[in-house]
Amino acid sequence: MSRKKKCIAMLLAGGQGSRLGALTKDIAKPAVSFGGKYRIIDFSLSNCANSGIDTVGVLTQYRPFELNSYVGDGEAWDFSSVDGGVYILPPYETQTGGKWYRGTADAVYRNLDFLRKFNSDYVLILSGDHLYRMDYNEMLKNHIRHNAVATISVMRVDWEEASRFGILSTDENNRITKFAEKPKKPESNLASMGIYIFNKDILIDKLMEDAHNEESSHDFGKDIIPKLLAEDEYVNAYLFEGFWKDVGTIDSYYDTNMQLLLEKPYFSMIDEKFPIMSNSNIYPVQYIGEHAIIDNCIINNGCKVYGRIKNSILGNGCVIKEGAYIEDSLILPDTVIEEDAKIIHAIVGEKTVVEQGAEIGSKGGEIAVIGNHEKVTKAGDKA
Amino acid sequence: MKEVIGLVSANYATADMQRLSDERSISSMPFGGRYRLIDFALSNMINSGITAVGLITPYKFRSLLDHIGTGSAWMLDRKKGGLYILPGSTYGMSNKSDRFLLCDMRQNDVYFHRTNADYVLVTSANIVCNMDYNALIEAHMESGADITMVVKKADHKSAYMKRVLLEDGRVSGVKVGVERGETAFMDMFIIKRELLLQFMDWYSAKDYMDLFDVLKKDYLRMNIRTWNYDGYIREIFSVRDYYDANMELLDMDINGAIFNEQMPIRTKVQDCVPAHVYPQARIKNSLISSGCLIRGEVTNSILFRGVTVEEGVVIRDSIIMQSSVIKSGAIIKSAIIDRNNLIGSDMVIKGSADDIYVMLKEQRKARRIG
Repeated sequence: MSRKKKCIAMLLAGGQGSRLGALTKDIAKPAVSFGGKYRIIDFSLSNCANSGIDTVGVLTQYRPFELNSYVGDGEAWDFSSVDGGVYILPPYETQTGGKWYRGTADAVYRNLDFLRKFNSDYVLILSGDHLYRMDYNEMLKNHIRHNAVATISVMRVDWEEASRFGILSTDENNRITKFAEKPKKPESNLASMGIYIFNKDILIDKLMEDAHNEESSHDFGKDIIPKLLAEDEYVNAYLFEGFWKDVGTIDSYYDTNMQLLLEKPYFSMIDEKFPIMSNSNIYPVQYIGEHAIIDNCIINNGCKVYGRIKNSILGNGCVIKEGAYIEDSLILPDTVIEEDAKIIHAIVGEKTVVEQGAEIGSKGGEIAVIGNHEKVTKAGDKA
Repeated sequence: MKEVIGLVSANYATADMQRLSDERSISSMPFGGRYRLIDFALSNMINSGITAVGLITPYKFRSLLDHIGTGSAWMLDRKKGGLYILPGSTYGMSNKSDRFLLCDMRQNDVYFHRTNADYVLVTSANIVCNMDYNALIEAHMESGADITMVVKKADHKSAYMKRVLLEDGRVSGVKVGVERGETAFMDMFIIKRELLLQFMDWYSAKDYMDLFDVLKKDYLRMNIRTWNYDGYIREIFSVRDYYDANMELLDMDINGAIFNEQMPIRTKVQDCVPAHVYPQARIKNSLISSGCLIRGEVTNSILFRGVTVEEGVVIRDSIIMQSSVIKSGAIIKSAIIDRNNLIGSDMVIKGSADDIYVMLKEQRKARRIG
């Protein structure tokens, strides 16, 4: 048994994020680029690092190659530790066969080896596809203070949106009395953020019970939490008051990126005490050419800008050639926009080439989305 | 396969850095927006497949060692080989000709004994180049020379670079100072390890001298050859060298020769937010590093990480190092502003093309808000 630690984390990073369409065609949602430099998983990994949690299991399933190679041994988030670190946990085969992870709870259940290896009282269950800054210590303190079996991090959402979330009702001590997954008529506007702290021993028991229940969908929100409530266990709500977003759709992904261009972004990357760390490749310094015109843009490492760009974000290593025009767009890393190409109100995926004279998107229209590794020609068709 | 180990000598200084190197060695001078000069030597070693590298430290080693750490940025934190910190001696620092003090090698001779490598590839640490040493190694093996020195035809006069004297294709000596067009030693060479160990023994009485000065009378007794490097290369000995080499990075042909994906120049990673160029900004022909917030005018300049340029500022032909803040209306021309400086509103700092203004670090400490 290893050195005693208070809390270890398990990060669910196997989701496809199907509503992000072309952006997750070949990579898992946690590996999708954000702000031109980060990847979505950076936020939960940085939160762990900034909260002093030094042991994280990352559960992967959907198209894991990019994600696995990006996370590596976690060194980029300072997870190199003597008896901790980052562990990639993919589905695996056993003597009785192998299966894909059937749900969030099943994914954790299948990695009880990981939970048991580390000597901790508590387990933090996270989702790898949310954008937020959070000190998990505050949540853990709250969990311990209430002597709860489980704590769910919650936030207030607009009443109109409440039916899109798992909605909780609480008593005056913030003890959860009811949990409804995507209710048609929500009783409250306290939404679960998909962040849970469990007493480890109880979690292991519950997961083992759940695994043998054939009617269960093996999901934390749908099965584990309702079961705890039904058994009258103390499930505590921890109210989080900050920015949190599940960038599940193209619109919310686009908006959350583009707000970085505001004079005062509501979710800023700049925070010295709580830095968002990332594992970027090595790029040289950004070069701005003689004839480039830049009007309110974010420009990442390795970019070379010769054309005109307005209200846009350029990811690491993008090249914008002379005569190209980009407005209100998000250009993901390592993409080349050739001479006289025109891109308006669009998201262009990673390692894509927009050839000379090609046009993408238009003002006022829907956000045009081009995936990763594409080639967009002047004729408008993707090769 | 013959094995090669590396040796980087950083233990020398010059009097021509106008105090920019007061607290740091030239090898740890910030360069090109996010690098330090030592990055080139270390990256070239690892990119050429040399995975054991000894580093002779300068007298003022704090900033250098702070930057290098365990060598992990260059994958030199290894079980086999890796980075060896070799403490340099503390004298003979700013003699114009010193680069490879024999005593620095002698007092670290363990490094050369505890290896079976056939050759030692030695380089100084104030060089800007992206070089695959394999061509040099091959040429050296093929010729069977005792030492092969990297040379290049000098494209400018220098008081520090060394001229190589040749007789029948063999090196007969070196002299400090080169004129344009002369054959200059680029302070890189490859030597048989056994021979280097013998030198340490033979010349032990003169070990306070540079290896190439010690050899003075013995050049023609040995087979010392040259190998011409035709890629881009710059040695930095003075503020002028430093300024010019930085500015040359604005030539994208040179920039691309130095920084490319196949042979990346590696440096210590810092998590820095992207650069934000606001609507009021106007940037032309400049390098703008991550973390910069730009609202003013920047032309023909190099901005290091986290520089803030407020509205109405004009920066031309200048190098602004990390975390400096340039307040509204200030004008900076032909200047090097070292780290962490606060340039007040409407301040005017003007050097000229022939006389670059130098502001040392933290003259007025910058504190960035937000």
